[in-house]
Amino acid sequence: MMEGRCAAESWAEFGLLGKSGTPLVKCGTGTDVFICTGGEEVYVFTAQEKTLRVSPSYTLGESSGILRMGDRLENCCCCASNVCKSDLTFHLFGDQSFSHDAGSGPTELKISTECLVAVADRASSLLVVGSVLLTLCRTDASWSLTLYQIQRTSQSDPCDLLASFSLPLVSPKVQSDAESRCVLVCVYPGNLMPASSPPHPLRSHYPLQPLLFRRLFGAEAALSKSPVVLCGLPDGRLSFLPLRIPGSRLRILHSLEQSVVFVGASAVMETDAGCAGCLIALGKQGRAVLIRAGRAGLEGGGGTRFTLGCVPGPVECACMDQSRVYYSTGSDLLMVDLWDGSSGTAGRQGDKEDEASRSNPAAFLTPISLNVSGVVALHQPTYSSAGEWMTPHMDSLSNGFILFSFRASVLKTIIRSKNQILKQLNQVMNISFLLSNRSESDLKPVRCRGSVRWSRLLQRDSLNLTCVLENLSPFILERGWTLSVTVLPLSCPLEAGGEASSVNYSFPFSGLGPEESVEVSLPVATAGDASFPVTVTCSLLFSLWRFLGQEEATAPLDLQSACFSLPLNTLTVDWLDALRLSDPPAPARSSSSPADLLQGFISSRQLRCRGGGQASRPEEYSARVRVSSELLRDALGLAPGSPRVSLLEWLLSEGCGGVKMERKGIKTDGSSSVICGSAPDNATVKLTVNVEEKTKPLVTVEVQVKSSSVAAVCGLHHAVMRRIQVWEASSVGVSSGQTPPLLLRVYQQLRDGPLLIL
Amino acid sequence: MIQSASLLESWTQENNQLASGCKLSPHVFLLLCLSLSGIPPHLDRAQLELSVVYNTCVCFTAQSQFDEAELLLTQTAQRLLQIAGDDPGTSDPSVLWRTALKSVTGTALHRRVLSLLCLQWGVWLAKSRLTAVQDFQEMSLLEAQSGAVWNDCRAETKEKISNIPILVLDPRRLVDLLKICTAIVQGAERLTEGWSVLSALQAASASPAPRALIAYTHLLSGSCLAHMNRPQMALQCYRKALETDPRCVCALYQSALIYSRLENSQAEIQALRILHSMLLLPSTTEPAMAAGRLLSPSLFLCSQSLSSLLSVPSALSVLHSLALKCVIHSRVSEGVECYLDLLAALQSEDQHGVRVHAVVSTLPKLPRLYLEAGAALLMARRPADCMALCDEVIGSTLDLLPEKVLLEDPVARRVAGSGEVTEEAENGLVRLLWTAAAYLLQGHCYSQLKDWKQAVTHYTRCINLLVKVHYKDTDKDPEQGVDLCVLQRLKGLSLAGRGISFAQIDRLREALRDLQLSRQAHPEGVSARRWYGEVLWRLDRKQEAAACWEQTWSNPIPSLSEALPVYAQELQSGPLLDSAELHQKLQELGPT
Repeated sequence: MMEGRCAAESWAEFGLLGKSGTPLVKCGTGTDVFICTGGEEVYVFTAQEKTLRVSPSYTLGESSGILRMGDRLENCCCCASNVCKSDLTFHLFGDQSFSHDAGSGPTELKISTECLVAVADRASSLLVVGSVLLTLCRTDASWSLTLYQIQRTSQSDPCDLLASFSLPLVSPKVQSDAESRCVLVCVYPGNLMPASSPPHPLRSHYPLQPLLFRRLFGAEAALSKSPVVLCGLPDGRLSFLPLRIPGSRLRILHSLEQSVVFVGASAVMETDAGCAGCLIALGKQGRAVLIRAGRAGLEGGGGTRFTLGCVPGPVECACMDQSRVYYSTGSDLLMVDLWDGSSGTAGRQGDKEDEASRSNPAAFLTPISLNVSGVVALHQPTYSSAGEWMTPHMDSLSNGFILFSFRASVLKTIIRSKNQILKQLNQVMNISFLLSNRSESDLKPVRCRGSVRWSRLLQRDSLNLTCVLENLSPFILERGWTLSVTVLPLSCPLEAGGEASSVNYSFPFSGLGPEESVEVSLPVATAGDASFPVTVTCSLLFSLWRFLGQEEATAPLDLQSACFSLPLNTLTVDWLDALRLSDPPAPARSSSSPADLLQGFISSRQLRCRGGGQASRPEEYSARVRVSSELLRDALGLAPGSPRVSLLEWLLSEGCGGVKMERKGIKTDGSSSVICGSAPDNATVKLTVNVEEKTKPLVTVEVQVKSSSVAAVCGLHHAVMRRIQVWEASSVGVSSGQTPPLLLRVYQQLRDGPLLIL
Repeated sequence: MIQSASLLESWTQENNQLASGCKLSPHVFLLLCLSLSGIPPHLDRAQLELSVVYNTCVCFTAQSQFDEAELLLTQTAQRLLQIAGDDPGTSDPSVLWRTALKSVTGTALHRRVLSLLCLQWGVWLAKSRLTAVQDFQEMSLLEAQSGAVWNDCRAETKEKISNIPILVLDPRRLVDLLKICTAIVQGAERLTEGWSVLSALQAASASPAPRALIAYTHLLSGSCLAHMNRPQMALQCYRKALETDPRCVCALYQSALIYSRLENSQAEIQALRILHSMLLLPSTTEPAMAAGRLLSPSLFLCSQSLSSLLSVPSALSVLHSLALKCVIHSRVSEGVECYLDLLAALQSEDQHGVRVHAVVSTLPKLPRLYLEAGAALLMARRPADCMALCDEVIGSTLDLLPEKVLLEDPVARRVAGSGEVTEEAENGLVRLLWTAAAYLLQGHCYSQLKDWKQAVTHYTRCINLLVKVHYKDTDKDPEQGVDLCVLQRLKGLSLAGRGISFAQIDRLREALRDLQLSRQAHPEGVSARRWYGEVLWRLDRKQEAAACWEQTWSNPIPSLSEALPVYAQELQSGPLLDSAELHQKLQELGPT
């Protein structure tokens, strides 16, 4: 189907705003195009200069049609009497007044009332067949088709009225859409186009296969070789009138039951020799009928096959080449290949497939979008070089497309923003698939790294977490994404009722390309707040309200329903992370500020009180964790020389889903490495790593936590255990999903029995 | 008072400007009218107001806006009665006008009111309200006296021209026009009433009027006489009409009809020929009598019976009747020419064909025209041309033919109702008959060329088509009668043709069978019976042959009639049996 696509060249964009009514486009001489929007003016577009001019001499009132006759621009224009605008009168002008020489251009056309050829009240369509001019007018009770003789006896007289035919209106309902235009086309039996017609095909004139012609219009029309005029009416009726047959009248061929927008004919087979084997009518809402000659049936005059179908409407305008119909829905230009091998096969006379297409009428018309939007009028190019009938190839056709957007500015922004939204949605979908299709063990391509540091603000120490959102995916996180960070303490002080409350932080950011990162900072805890460890859950949020523009303002109320959230990784800030390291040994912190001193004093007093006044010096609690040093060496790749430092370093590193903290002051002496610091509850903490040789044959590394605060010892012990267990789980293969509950249980046990020392 | 007088003057001037302007439109007068009617009715201004109303109504009438004109007239009558203080308590126009006229009798307004009343007359006439017109005529015994009044006014006009509002149409002219138009319309409506109408028409024909209208009075007199069964006098009247106005083609057409009734075929053909050539002249049907006049007589001549009387068939229809008459009345070569002209006209780019459907066409369907022309060509011994025409018919109908035509019980069909469906159903039969007739004519052509084998082939094709029609042999339905009759005749003719062809190639048994069948299908067939005898004779069944021939002497081959298509009748185109020879044979047999 790719060859069906084409690169249409847009000649120009016109901002003809505020014009109501269906525009009408006709090719004039050469590359001049006349555009009529139903208003008072006729626009003349010159393709060579690519300019649009309002033709000044056409200010004639309501113009409702431009007529192209033969090779020259002979008849053009119609207008209302200037006196009475509501009464739309149709004045047709003859050719004498047009001195259209090449240099002057169409704006030089002068029309005088002397060249009025006919006055037709409320005419909605025109056609010229040979030397007869036809107008289709709507009167109060009927449609009337009027024939005028163009060849006039004298220049000043209006055309002779030849005849008039009428067809009663079908219902008063139709009267409302008086504005809709009728379709008038002419079909000929075989290749009997009138000799006077120009060498290239005229729009609205089709030679029809003689067999189809006979079956549709009868022996009489065939015998007289009479052209037959087809009228597509807004009430959906497709009626026909054979000219030249004495006593003929308008008769109904078919009813589409919706406003007829287009009537055309198409060649089906190569053997048709330029004759169309199929008539097509398209309705406003997309109903289509294909009329073909079938095999002769039992019934008299039968053998005409009406195939009904449907295309997605609305059909604003259409044109066709040999086998394809191009139509515009106003927002898209679509192409229907009628004789596509897979679908229609009307021409191949495959009876089975015919049956299939009849039983499943919707199947045979599948339009393909040409991705050209806002087409409101189509016109077949008339200057095809080949001069063949109905064979303007795709190329010539595409060059001939002139695209008008009468609400250009509005429509274009809408379409542009729609495209933008679609693009964004596409990105969003890509990212959400990327993030949701992975198991938790995989590293997500979009993730957060965290690091904590203590900072002092307003004489209050607080632990700040800096989250770095990294985008390692190939997609852009565009504007509209929000990084949501939820901080949830696993436990909370007993005073708070034991119910942990989470704090949520949102950070909207504007665009994050691949390999880019964004950094956000948030407080995790303040000094003295001992509710560690803290789980930091990161997720990405996307609000659909963003796409709805203005309504963003009202969005927050419904935020939950209109958002979707993609979980990223989870960080844990535990006691180890929250350690404030200091230079060891620190019997008393070398705190310079009096506030710290005071704080230290108060807390020591508290502890003493809590301790029930046991000793003035706070009791030291401790906990030990022993790990096989071999295991450590193998698994962690720690340097054999200094496993203690390495272990301490590792414990304080950001591995195992933890956060990174500043490191300093690991002190090594003899067989042990020591690190001192203060826990968030300001208790002094000492971590010692010893290599225990006495437990041979298993050499173990012992991590000892010492503090005066039970909470700190428990917390640090838990933190150490957690790290080792996380590492163990990942190396041994325990599903990491099970780890947090396990840890939690251990920790809670530790908390529940604070005096139980491992 | 001074102000009012000057206002009056300016209004008068405005009216005069409008009336003397070249573009007359009721709307501009209507504006003036409205400004006048905005002030209370007063005798001083009545003169002006009535003139303006008159002008407005004339313009309305000229544009066929009769309802508007009538409304305005009625309102004016009511205002007049307000001035006079009369209230007839009715809105019936004739009562209103009677009262109004009475109230102004003897005043200066009288003639103005009279002219308005004339306009009302015109409106009634245009709307074909003839009883109202008759009432008016009875009422206007005034004519004599009004003539006197109008003469006064003429003098008055000459005196002070500036103060008198100008009228767009002289009321006396209006009266003249209305009088003759009324006479014509009434004459057309009461054509059957005999002498009284005739005298009225004769009187009208003496009145001063355009030629075309006078011609119409003669025409109507002629028609009246024709109704009174005086065709020769009618012809005289038609001749007078034509002498008065040579463009009065309807008189020519009516004469042709009379000749047809008198069975004067030569005169009829002559009349049709002239009629046809006159119809080909540009714009003969539209008598250009209203040139330069405001009111065209055609505005008032819109009665149904009149227009049916004045209507003339289209040039092509006339040409067809001419052709058919020629063929039927043994002027075959002329008929052929006419047919060829007709077909050429129908095929041509020239749009006479299109113009045809402006009036109801009396032309038969095109294939039938082709076949008639073909028959004419055959009779003129041009078989090749005939065959070409038949080929065209066959080509355009053959693939539209039904496999089978089943004619239902006529009663059941009538119950089912007529309409589109019936028409379609009949089309199958009609097309089949066309094709069959084309084959029959081709068979005739080949037998004329003495190519007997081909003749047999084509006759056989014809027969094969005809046997596809199945019908119940009940009493003949008048609707279907013609088609069935044609069917039977075609069957009889084609079987006879094949039998004769078989006889020519000495296949006597087949010949005898076909001729026998032909006699069953169409017992009136003369040549079938004669040839039946001949074949019997050749088969040496001489007694039977003689008996058969004896029967045929009494009825010769009937001449062609208009009742059936020419091609469904015996054309005497095939091999003929020499009757002298037959007599001789009979005499030979006689003694034995």
